[in-house]
Amino acid sequence: MLTRLARALTSPSVREGVRGVHRTAPAASDALFVHRDTAQNNPDTPFEFTAENKKRAEAIMSIYPDGHKKAAVIPLLDLAQRQVGNWLPITAMHTVAKMLDMPRMRVYEVATFYTMYMRNPVGKYHVQVCTTTPCWLRGSDQVMAVIKDKLGLIPGHTTPDGLFTLSEVECLGACVNAPMMQINDDYYEDLGDSDVSEILDSLAAGRTPKAGPRSGRFAAEPAGGLTTLTGPPPGPGFRVRDDL
Amino acid sequence: MGHPGEGLLLGMGATRAQSSGPEKIEVFIDDQPVMVPPGTTVLQAAAEAGVEIPRFCYHERLSVAGNCRMCLVEVEKSVKPVAACAMPVMKGWRIKTDSDMTRKAREGVMEFLLINHPLDCPICDQGGECDLQDQSMAFGSDRSRFLDNKRAVEDKNIGPLVKTIMTRCIHCTRCVRFASEVAGVEDLGTTGRGSDMQIGTYVEKMLMSELSGNVIDLCPVGALTSKPYAFTARPWEIRRTDSVDVMDAVGSNIVVNHRTGEVLRILPRTNEEINEEWLSDKSRFACDGLKRQRLVYPMVKDSSGELRPCQWEDALLVAGRALAAAQGSVAAVAGGLADAESLVALKDLVNKLGGEATCTEEIFPEDGSGTDLRSSYLLNTTIAGVEEADLVLLVGTNPRFEAPLFNARLRKAWVHNELDVAVLGPNVNLTYEAEHIGEDPAIIEKLLSGTHPFSQRLKAARRPMVVVGSALLSRPDGGLLYARLQQLAHQLRAGCEGGAEWRVLNVLHRVASQVAALDLGYTPGVSKVRNAPPQVLYLLGADEGAITREDLPADCLVIYQGHHGDRGAEMADVVLPGAAYTEKMATYVNTEGRAQQAQAALVPPGMAREDWKIIRALSEVVGAQLPYDNLAEVRDRLTEVSPNLTRYGDVEEANYFAQASALAQLVKGKQEAAPIDVPQKVLEDFYMTNSVSRASPTMAKCIAAIKKEAANRHRDK
Amino acid sequence: MASKLARAGVRQVKPILSVDHGEARQRVLNLYKAWYRQLPYIVMDYDLPKSKEECRAKLREEFMKHHHVQDIRVIDMLVIKGQMELKETVEIWKQKHGLMAYWKDTVEPKPQGFLNKFLDGHE
Repeated sequence: MLTRLARALTSPSVREGVRGVHRTAPAASDALFVHRDTAQNNPDTPFEFTAENKKRAEAIMSIYPDGHKKAAVIPLLDLAQRQVGNWLPITAMHTVAKMLDMPRMRVYEVATFYTMYMRNPVGKYHVQVCTTTPCWLRGSDQVMAVIKDKLGLIPGHTTPDGLFTLSEVECLGACVNAPMMQINDDYYEDLGDSDVSEILDSLAAGRTPKAGPRSGRFAAEPAGGLTTLTGPPPGPGFRVRDDL
Repeated sequence: MGHPGEGLLLGMGATRAQSSGPEKIEVFIDDQPVMVPPGTTVLQAAAEAGVEIPRFCYHERLSVAGNCRMCLVEVEKSVKPVAACAMPVMKGWRIKTDSDMTRKAREGVMEFLLINHPLDCPICDQGGECDLQDQSMAFGSDRSRFLDNKRAVEDKNIGPLVKTIMTRCIHCTRCVRFASEVAGVEDLGTTGRGSDMQIGTYVEKMLMSELSGNVIDLCPVGALTSKPYAFTARPWEIRRTDSVDVMDAVGSNIVVNHRTGEVLRILPRTNEEINEEWLSDKSRFACDGLKRQRLVYPMVKDSSGELRPCQWEDALLVAGRALAAAQGSVAAVAGGLADAESLVALKDLVNKLGGEATCTEEIFPEDGSGTDLRSSYLLNTTIAGVEEADLVLLVGTNPRFEAPLFNARLRKAWVHNELDVAVLGPNVNLTYEAEHIGEDPAIIEKLLSGTHPFSQRLKAARRPMVVVGSALLSRPDGGLLYARLQQLAHQLRAGCEGGAEWRVLNVLHRVASQVAALDLGYTPGVSKVRNAPPQVLYLLGADEGAITREDLPADCLVIYQGHHGDRGAEMADVVLPGAAYTEKMATYVNTEGRAQQAQAALVPPGMAREDWKIIRALSEVVGAQLPYDNLAEVRDRLTEVSPNLTRYGDVEEANYFAQASALAQLVKGKQEAAPIDVPQKVLEDFYMTNSVSRASPTMAKCIAAIKKEAANRHRDK
Repeated sequence: MASKLARAGVRQVKPILSVDHGEARQRVLNLYKAWYRQLPYIVMDYDLPKSKEECRAKLREEFMKHHHVQDIRVIDMLVIKGQMELKETVEIWKQKHGLMAYWKDTVEPKPQGFLNKFLDGHE
């Protein structure tokens, strides 16, 4: 009986327009967890830490005690990713593996596990739009629509000029300032329609727009002004018995 | 994950560490009290009580992963079920392995595992011997509630031996742990996360290991299966015969899986003393060589010099006439795959005809005590004894390819017992870190006199081992070097922890027949034959080309008895087809001196016969009849010559190290300057080392794949 | 005591069919005759590649095989077996090769000795 009901619910006609509870294979996976050689990313892609970054790497590695050098793999991969510009070529993983004297596979494991390591080239500006429930309720669909209109981007793609890459991501922890997007390391929050296009325009023009909430809020305080703690804090002796 | 040393819980290896036993604690498995040492896991305690807890990721010989959750059991007063494989027991715990909660937990885990597991059992090679199949029958639900699409994972190409169907993978990570802990090849790993996680190599590359076949046995589902065996047979159609492997001198225990007169595959059989439950790729996959290049009928060279098939009568007559006419000018050379029965028969025949030269192809120096004292040609410490050693010096050997399972033991001890390994010889990759002392043979002398920097380490070692390889022994100055090593080993014994019990000197042989041949009194090396060429030369499976036609006078008649048409048969005038190791009841003695029986799984193909019977029949034709007509009588004769040859399964210990050392002092000679070398340096050299593996198409594919892999840009050079 | 032993020695065993040699002999002759008369039909029914004369010779040979048997009980048993064989033959419960097996003169004896066995493929 229940099975029949379930089957009826999952029949194609019913499914149309209904966002299923499970979103497996077709929807969930936007990354490939094996390496494919491409023109930009192959074992011959040049990568070398710059002298400055090498110094940084040494400093990072020196934090960890002897015998636990491998723990530096995450910061080093991050360093490599920042040096290349938002993404991590396979040769960078190899370099890190060599520096830390660990098998390459163990580095691949780390790099594929964490979603913030981009294993394929991304644009100069990596636009990550949060579409998890709070942001979605506050209009992340609109943010996506603006980006699509403006740049012609759908998630996972890069503009032909190599400036922007759009990703649809899960909660980035700024729900109180929803909707929001992250561009490289900066959060742009409380986005209205004009805000998105303005941010993108100024980025395209080579300027860096100010990060943070666009609604005039300083941070995550209530939108309509403070409702508590409005007065100055009371001084010493507040509500203390007179005889003390 | 899976770094060696980390997460090593109990019951793994560490023989030395386990010896001290603190007080035991009492736990109750299904209300049945058991006393276990503290630190025992719930799963081990249950095993103690005779209750088997279902598991996928847990394996006795690998580190604990605890990620499959199949071993969940209820513990009284615990809110949640606990993973039995990873949870150490506490005093007084009441563990319920068959309660409602446990059963529900298992059923739930099973349902999750099956969510993404394809229902392709009818076309899956694991079908019938699949842990997932068995356990879902025993513990799973009879229906699924999952209605969405199943996950699909692309297959990986990891070489010509292991076939991958990664959609079937349940992520137990046994293969990853095996590769990194036992095989020492860190090429497998888990990539991605969550439902996208997959097992693989990330970049496309081959799993380059001499032990790679074991991941097939380890895989609890059909994700990793055997490529050569793919779609060949179902386990319930197969007949199984317990036997012994002869591809190297380790004597791994195997189960020959056969059907309708052909060997389908070879699986390892657990023997803690020798191979544990692993098997090298050559032993496992070279069995298809048993169907190719076989000698199936007797052959005699005709007037035009061509070998022509004939009847046994004719072949025996030609051979017999020549043997009789030779009037004692008869010699025999035994190859690496000969069994003790045929060796003793051949030696008896040659001696009866008046010949003295019975040789083996493998060389062993005859200086000093030579092969007179058994202790000088055995792996005296035994393979399992490696786990008690603290320093191993490998001289002129590459155990990784000469004896992969011995090497696996060394690696196990290196990982768990902090064994130090030093190599004197070429600096080869042994899958573990070994100190490379050098290649100069002069170092041996320095070590003996204590002037080499490494001498201090050797002296300080409490249980050192010196392992001498056959590459060193076959050098022109092998006798001298070996004598010095004997002295060195004897010197080291004085400072050993175990005193006289601890044997330092070890010889690692390369071929399966050598120890039995030496026990029976064969002369190692063919120099005797070369120096005094006989009129009739009898080759018993001698295929390594130790003696060639050029070494013999033109009128010398060569009789070849063996199972493969290889180098030996090429130079023969009479070919007598014998049986391979899967086709005869035979005795093999491994490098430790442990006699083991191979059982006949099949009958020899065509007109081929069991080897000792051929020699027995020939003896009657010559008129020097051997006094045994059946296997029991041959084995009586074996016992008469050397009683250890029929004490199956036991290591017969040998002694007289002091005497051997004293005799070794007398050895004088010129030391060569050539560096110590080994013939098998890279994986490519491993696959084809005897007539069976040379005939095997799978082994050929392995070599081709490795050659191709050399061009793989992703390989870590 | 001695008389007891003697009595035990000559104790009459329970007969199967015949009580004395005469009767046993009669039974043998009857069986022989029955076979003899049936032989032409057997040759015909089974389409044996043998003549009546050859069959008769074989019949005689088979009977003469046991001509040394003295024990009445054994004779009776052999007669019973012969009757069973006859019954099976007449009813065509047997097959042709079953009868032809009486003429298996061409079957080689099993080899004796190691070498002969070896050459024969038995060792």
